[in-house]
Amino acid sequence: MGSKEVGRRDFLKYGISLVGTGVLGSQLVYPLDPVYAQTEKKGKIKDPIRIGAQATLSGPFGGYGQFMKMGAQLAVDEINSSGGILGSKVEIEFRDEELKPDVAAKNARYFVDDWGADFLTGLDASSSALGVGAIMGELDRVLIVTHGATEKLTENLVYKQGIKQIFRISVPVYQDGIAAAIVAKDFPAKRWVTIGADYEYGHTAWNFFKATLKKLRPDVEFVEEAWAKFLTSDFGAHITKVMAANPDGIYSTQWAGEAVTLIKQAKLFGVFDKIQTWMTPMGAAMDVLEGLGKEYPEKAWVTCRYWFQYPDTPENKAFVARFYKRWNKYPHYVSETTYSAIYAIKAAVEKAGTLSTPEVIKALEGMTLMTPAGKRYIRPEDHQAVYQVPWGRITHNPEYPFPTLTDLKVIPAEEYFRKPPFVEA
Amino acid sequence: MRTFLFQGLVGLSEAMYLWMVAAGLSLIFGVLRVLNFAHGSLYMLGAYLTFYFFGLLGHNFWLGLVIGPVFVAGIGLLMERFFLRLVYRLEVAYQLLLTFAFVLIFNDLVKLIWGPIYQAPPMPPGLDSSLSILGQAYPLYNLFIILVGPLIALGLWFLLEKTRWGRLIVASASDREMASALGVNVPRLYTWVFMLGAWLAALGGALSIPIRPVSPGMGEIIIIEAFIVAVIGGLGSLKGAFIGAILIGLLHVYGVFYVPVFEMALAFILMAVVLILRPWGLFGTREA
Amino acid sequence: MKPYTLIGLCLLIVVLMVLPLLVSRFYLYITLQVLMLSLFALGFNLLFGYTGLLSFGHAAFYATGAYATGLILKNVTNSLIPGVLGGTLVATLLALIIGFFCVRHTDVYFSMLTLAFGMMVYSLAWKWRDVTGGDDGLIGIPRAPLQIPGGLSFSMKAVSNYYYFVLIVTLLAILLLYTIVNSSFGLVLQGIRENSNRVEFAGIPIKRYRWIAFVISGFFAGLAGALLAPLENTVAPAAADWTKSSEPILASLLGGIHTFAGPIVGSALFILLKETVVRHTEYWLLVYGIILLLILLGLRGGVVGALIQFKAKAKR
Repeated sequence: MGSKEVGRRDFLKYGISLVGTGVLGSQLVYPLDPVYAQTEKKGKIKDPIRIGAQATLSGPFGGYGQFMKMGAQLAVDEINSSGGILGSKVEIEFRDEELKPDVAAKNARYFVDDWGADFLTGLDASSSALGVGAIMGELDRVLIVTHGATEKLTENLVYKQGIKQIFRISVPVYQDGIAAAIVAKDFPAKRWVTIGADYEYGHTAWNFFKATLKKLRPDVEFVEEAWAKFLTSDFGAHITKVMAANPDGIYSTQWAGEAVTLIKQAKLFGVFDKIQTWMTPMGAAMDVLEGLGKEYPEKAWVTCRYWFQYPDTPENKAFVARFYKRWNKYPHYVSETTYSAIYAIKAAVEKAGTLSTPEVIKALEGMTLMTPAGKRYIRPEDHQAVYQVPWGRITHNPEYPFPTLTDLKVIPAEEYFRKPPFVEA
Repeated sequence: MRTFLFQGLVGLSEAMYLWMVAAGLSLIFGVLRVLNFAHGSLYMLGAYLTFYFFGLLGHNFWLGLVIGPVFVAGIGLLMERFFLRLVYRLEVAYQLLLTFAFVLIFNDLVKLIWGPIYQAPPMPPGLDSSLSILGQAYPLYNLFIILVGPLIALGLWFLLEKTRWGRLIVASASDREMASALGVNVPRLYTWVFMLGAWLAALGGALSIPIRPVSPGMGEIIIIEAFIVAVIGGLGSLKGAFIGAILIGLLHVYGVFYVPVFEMALAFILMAVVLILRPWGLFGTREA
Repeated sequence: MKPYTLIGLCLLIVVLMVLPLLVSRFYLYITLQVLMLSLFALGFNLLFGYTGLLSFGHAAFYATGAYATGLILKNVTNSLIPGVLGGTLVATLLALIIGFFCVRHTDVYFSMLTLAFGMMVYSLAWKWRDVTGGDDGLIGIPRAPLQIPGGLSFSMKAVSNYYYFVLIVTLLAILLLYTIVNSSFGLVLQGIRENSNRVEFAGIPIKRYRWIAFVISGFFAGLAGALLAPLENTVAPAAADWTKSSEPILASLLGGIHTFAGPIVGSALFILLKETVVRHTEYWLLVYGIILLLILLGLRGGVVGALIQFKAKAKR
C-alpha cells in the first residue's frame, strides 16, 4: 500500500506543476515510481504482484464488469489465503473501460507505467481489446483477455503482427459462428436468416456461420438479414423484416440486455409459433437467463463462453459451489474466464519463476491448465486458449431459479477453432 | 402492401416513446429556452422508479405507472428550483454543461441504488398477448402504446389551449416580459413547465419497462433521437414533436427494410436536410 | 504580453521540454493527451469563444484526421509528417464542405446541424467496414518514423520521442492560432460574436468569415486527431461520437472561453480531474458530475460571474 501512496503524491505534484505553470522548478523533481524500478531487477519476485483489470463498469452493459469482478475477487482471495504466488500476495484493481478503446489504452498505460501492474486482464469490448493489444508490445506486460471475442486479436495482432504479450483465455467468435453452424447442420431448418448485431462481432459471427453451414449442408439457404445498431431498444422492424422471408431458423447475435429485449419482442410478434429453431450464441449468459426467466422459449439454442454445468468434473462443481457460497449467485461466463485468467497468471509465474515478460510468455505458450471450464490448452502460435463450451437448448428446470440448458452438444475444439495460418473462411 | 402497412404499425409504437420524451424537451425549450440534456435521464428515472414501485407494490404495473412519473416530476422540481434557475441567464453552453452533469450523476445514482445489471420486468397481465392484424401477429402492448401517445397529445392540447394556465404558458413562451407585466408569476410557471416536461419523459420511460431493458445509460440512447425529433418538428412546437416522432419512427422501420446500410445515419441526414432548408423546423415559428 | 506572463510562458515551455527526463512514461502520456485536447479545444473555441458558434460535432474533424492519418500511414507512406499533414488536410477539406452548410445558421440551429454532420461521420466510421474496420476500429497503424529530407530519420517508437514531435507541432500550431486571433481577422470574428448586424452594416461578409473560422477550427481539430492515430496505433468510431465532441466543450468551459489560454488550462483540468476521480472510485460518473456542478455553480461568483458583469458592461 505504501508505494500506492507515493504514486498518488507523484500524481498530485504532477498536477500542480502542470497547471501551476512551473512556479517552482524544484517541485518537478521526483523519483521514478519505485515499484516500476523494482520490477527491472532480475529474478526477484516482488510483493505484491499486481494485476490491472478492466471491464465495462458503467452504462447499459455495466453488469458485465460486476460479474468479472466477482470471479477475479474469488481467485485473488483464494490465492492469497493459500500462500500467494511464490509467496507474494496478489493485488488487483479494476478500471472502467467504458467500451471505448482510447479509454482502455489509457487505463492500460496507467496500470503498467504508474500503478506498477505486472499483468493486465479483463476487457469486454472487442475494440477495447484491440486498442490495448496494439500497445502491448510497447508496454511489455502479459495481457490475458477474458471477454472481447474478435478473432482479429489473436489471428491478426498475435499471429500476424507478432505482439506476443497478448493472450486470450475465453473462446472467441468461433464459438458463436462456427460451432453454431456445426450444431445447426443437424437441424431440419433450411431457410436461415439473421437478426444481427450491426457491429463487427455480429457480422463476423454470421459470416462464419454461413460459410461453415453452407459447407456442411449445401441445401441450406440464407434468405434475409436484418441488422440492428448498437443499443437498439425496438426490434419490431428487424423481426418483421426477417419474418417476411418465411425462415425456418433465426440466428441472432444480440447479447445481454439486447438479447432479452429481442427475444421478448420476438415472442410477442409470434415468431416462435412460426419458426423451427432460434439460435443466440450468447443466450446462455447468466444475465440473459435471469432476465428472461420463464419467458425464455424452449426453441432457443444457446451457448456462451463457459456454462456452469459443463464439464461435469469435481473441479468445476467445487468452483461453482465456492462461487455460490461467496456471492450467492451462479458464475457468469465472464466470472469464470477472469477467474481462470488469474490462475493462468499464477501457473505461469510459478513455472517461470520470474515476472520477466518474455519468460512468462514462454511459460504460458503451450501450457495446459486445469480450469473450471475444463482443460485449457494455450496455443503457442496465436496465444488462444483452446477448450470447448457446449451449445444447448433452453429448458425450464425447477431446480434453478432460471432456465438451464438441455440436449447439450459438445463439439471437439479441434473441429471449430480456426487454425493458423488463418486463411479466409 | 400488407407488409408495408404492418411495418408502419411497428414504427408507430416506437414513435410514441420518442414523442413523450421529445414533447417535454420541446415544451421546456419553448418556454424556458433551455436545452435539457438530462431529459433522457428523466426518461431513465421514470423507468427505474416505476420498476421500483412495481416491485414494492405487489408487482402491480399500473400503480407503478401512476406513482413513478410523479416522483420524477418531483425530481424535476428540485432540478429546476435549485440548479437550472441559476443558469437561465447564461449562454446555452452552460445550460448544456449543467444538464450534462446531471446525466452523469443520475447514471451513477441508479447504478448505486439498483445495481449495474439491467432489469427486465415482465409484461403487465392482460397486455402480454398479441392480435392478428393484416394477417400477422401484432403485440397488444404496442397497440396500447399507440393509443396512449395520441391521448397524451390530446391532453396536452387541451391543457395548453383550453385552460387559463395553459394560455399563460403559451403567452410567456412568446413574450416573457409581457407575461410578467400581466402579473404572471413567471418563475413559478417555469417550475411547473419543467415538472410537466419531466413527467412526460418519465411516463415514456415507465411505459417502456415491459419491453425494453431498464439499465443505467438508457437515457443517452433516447436523448439524441429526441433532439432530432424536436428539431425536425421545430423546437418549441408540440405538434412538430408529435409529427417528428412519427417521421423518425417510420424512417427507422423503413430504413431497416429498404436501406439498411444507411439506417444508422438516416435520422441525422433528415435532421440536416430540415435544418438546411427550414432551420425553424417543420412546425416551428421563424424567429426574427 | 506582460513581462510576467512572458516569463511564465518561457518557464512552462522549458518545463515541457525537459519533462521526459523528469516524469515516468505515464505522465508523459497524460501530457500528450493534454496537448492533443488543447489543440482540439483551441480549434473548437475559435468558433465558440471568438465567433459565438457552439459546435456539437467537432469530433467529426478529429476522427477524420485520425482515420485519414491512420490510412495514409498504413497504405501510402511510412513517414510521419506526410501522414499527419495528409490527415489534417482531409479533415480540413471536410470542414470546408460541412462548414459551408453550417455557417448559414447560428445559435442552437448551428449546434444541431453540426451534431447531425458529426453523427453522419460517426455512422460512416461504423458502417464503412472495408475501409475503417467498423467498430473494431482501424488497427495496426504504425508510429511511423520522422523522416526529414536529407536522409535523416528519427524513430518514434519510444513515447518520449513522439512526445517531442507532438510538443513541437502543438507549440507551432498554438503560435499560429495566436497570430490568427490577434490579427484583424480575429477582431472581425469577435465583432461578429458581439454584434453581427453592426459588422454586416460595415460591409463585411460575415458568412464568409464564419466559414473561414469554421475551416480553421476544423484544421486544428483534425490536427489533434492526426496526432492521436500514431500514438494509439488504433482509431475507433468512438473518436467521432458526440461524447467526443463534448470534450472540447467541457474543456473550454472549464478553462474559460473568452481567453486565448482558457481551453489549454481547461484541457489540463479536464484530463487531470477525470484521472484523479477514477483512481478513487468506481462511481466516477457521480463524483465527476458533482464536481462539474460545483465548478459551474462556484464559478458564478468567480469567473462566470465576472463574465456576466463583463457582458453587462459590454451591453451598456
